[in-house]
Amino acid sequence: MIALVRLRLAGFLRTGRALAPALAGLLALGVLYGGGRAQPAEAYGVSAVVLFPVLAWQTKILLDVEPDVQRRLAQVVLGPARERAAGLLAAAVAALGTVAVALVLPWLVGGVAGPAAPGDRSVLAGVLLGFWAHLLALPGAVALGALASRAVTRTAGYGVAVLALGAVGVLVLGLSGSVVPWLVPPLLPAARALAGHLGPTTGLLLSGWAAAWSAVVLTGYAWARRSRA
Amino acid sequence: MRLEDVWLRYHRRGPWVLREIDVRIEPGEVAVVLGRNGVGKSTLLQLAAGVLRPSRGRVVERPPVVGWVPERFPADQPFTAGAYLAAMGRVAGLPGPAADRAVRRWVDRLGLGRFHDVRLPQLSKGTAQKVGLAQALLRPPGLLVLDEPWEGLDAAARDLVPEVIGEVLAGGGAVLVSDHRGETVRLPGARQWSVAGGTVTEQSPTGEPAVAVVELAVPAAAVAAAVARLRADGHHVLRVRDHPVPPPATRPGPPVDPSAPERPDPAAPEVTR
Repeated sequence: MIALVRLRLAGFLRTGRALAPALAGLLALGVLYGGGRAQPAEAYGVSAVVLFPVLAWQTKILLDVEPDVQRRLAQVVLGPARERAAGLLAAAVAALGTVAVALVLPWLVGGVAGPAAPGDRSVLAGVLLGFWAHLLALPGAVALGALASRAVTRTAGYGVAVLALGAVGVLVLGLSGSVVPWLVPPLLPAARALAGHLGPTTGLLLSGWAAAWSAVVLTGYAWARRSRA
Repeated sequence: MRLEDVWLRYHRRGPWVLREIDVRIEPGEVAVVLGRNGVGKSTLLQLAAGVLRPSRGRVVERPPVVGWVPERFPADQPFTAGAYLAAMGRVAGLPGPAADRAVRRWVDRLGLGRFHDVRLPQLSKGTAQKVGLAQALLRPPGLLVLDEPWEGLDAAARDLVPEVIGEVLAGGGAVLVSDHRGETVRLPGARQWSVAGGTVTEQSPTGEPAVAVVELAVPAAAVAAAVARLRADGHHVLRVRDHPVPPPATRPGPPVDPSAPERPDPAAPEVTR
């Protein structure tokens, strides 16, 4: 299965189609950090929200770059479960690379600053919490991207619709006061928590929420792939 | 391996492509899947290979190692032929050195040596098809599924296909092969599955040995003597025709009549000389 993960990552990186989401991500982060310095945890919380659609789009491209017949060949060789797992794993590895860039970038462009006032979090705590916020976004974004992939949606139009619905849903349904916030991963609630005080209970609750949301969407992906070669 | 009461349709509420399929193939057997374009030959092969999941029914006792050669190899990939095959060998579970050895073996065997470092999109259709054949054989398959394997291959490679099938059978594997060009006359003794109207029927063996057609080029002055000798040896001379330029090689080619029926009757071959 690892060999297939490597093959798919190589295919994704060599076609050049990886460039579009990478540039979009850089642009979004550039806009985010262009406005001045912020505390790391707070900035990373917003960065995770911004990166969610980018990671989902990147996942869709990674899965779609492989021709359909090649995907079927991999399925014959490895079996359906491992073929699908390899695709998700390759997407997760690629997403981790993007997250690493997102964590480093603000330090390079001066978008974040160390603690300025008493009570501010340390730099290390800020970076760790930022990493956590991005990890909340990653599995949900991979799951959404997989659900939007050609193997499920078959046409470009449906694929874009699934991506757009997920990305807009995270923003709209994640607003404070939303009636059905649990319909989307808790990225805006996490960003709000990182701007203020984040207790361990809230952290655990948000982690469980993100994991459960991703599990539901991944189950939908696995179910949809059952009848589609 | 058995397909037990297998039904398949591509969409819910779509029409059934295949219905009530009950077929089995044992190790060491080869079955030829015959039928017109669009009747579901590829669908049947993909069900057997594990690409498609039956809408109803089940496929049981599928061997653990399956080699599938799709009708069209997906050449739109950013790898060289050699790198792709090595990667597919590793995906198939071969450790690095074993994968490299298997790739070298099949690259040499299929005459892909000079294309080893050529990128897949730059390969001709026939060469890409050979890469497709090679990837299915890197690990000796317990079931080899070939979808129109002769399509686009040159004469030398076409001859190799029955040879490869023979090796898989000798190794205890089963082979399923589809064909609409009459090439399967090269597989004497194969079972014949006929796909039509969404169902598969096995043509019962006639009891007579399979017949192959050989085209020969003979100097015009020696035709009468050659025909007499062939008849004396018990061969059935079907037709003698003119050929202005003798073919340069003696390799058998495919049946040349473009109006040949999709399902050739081995007892009624097209041309001989």
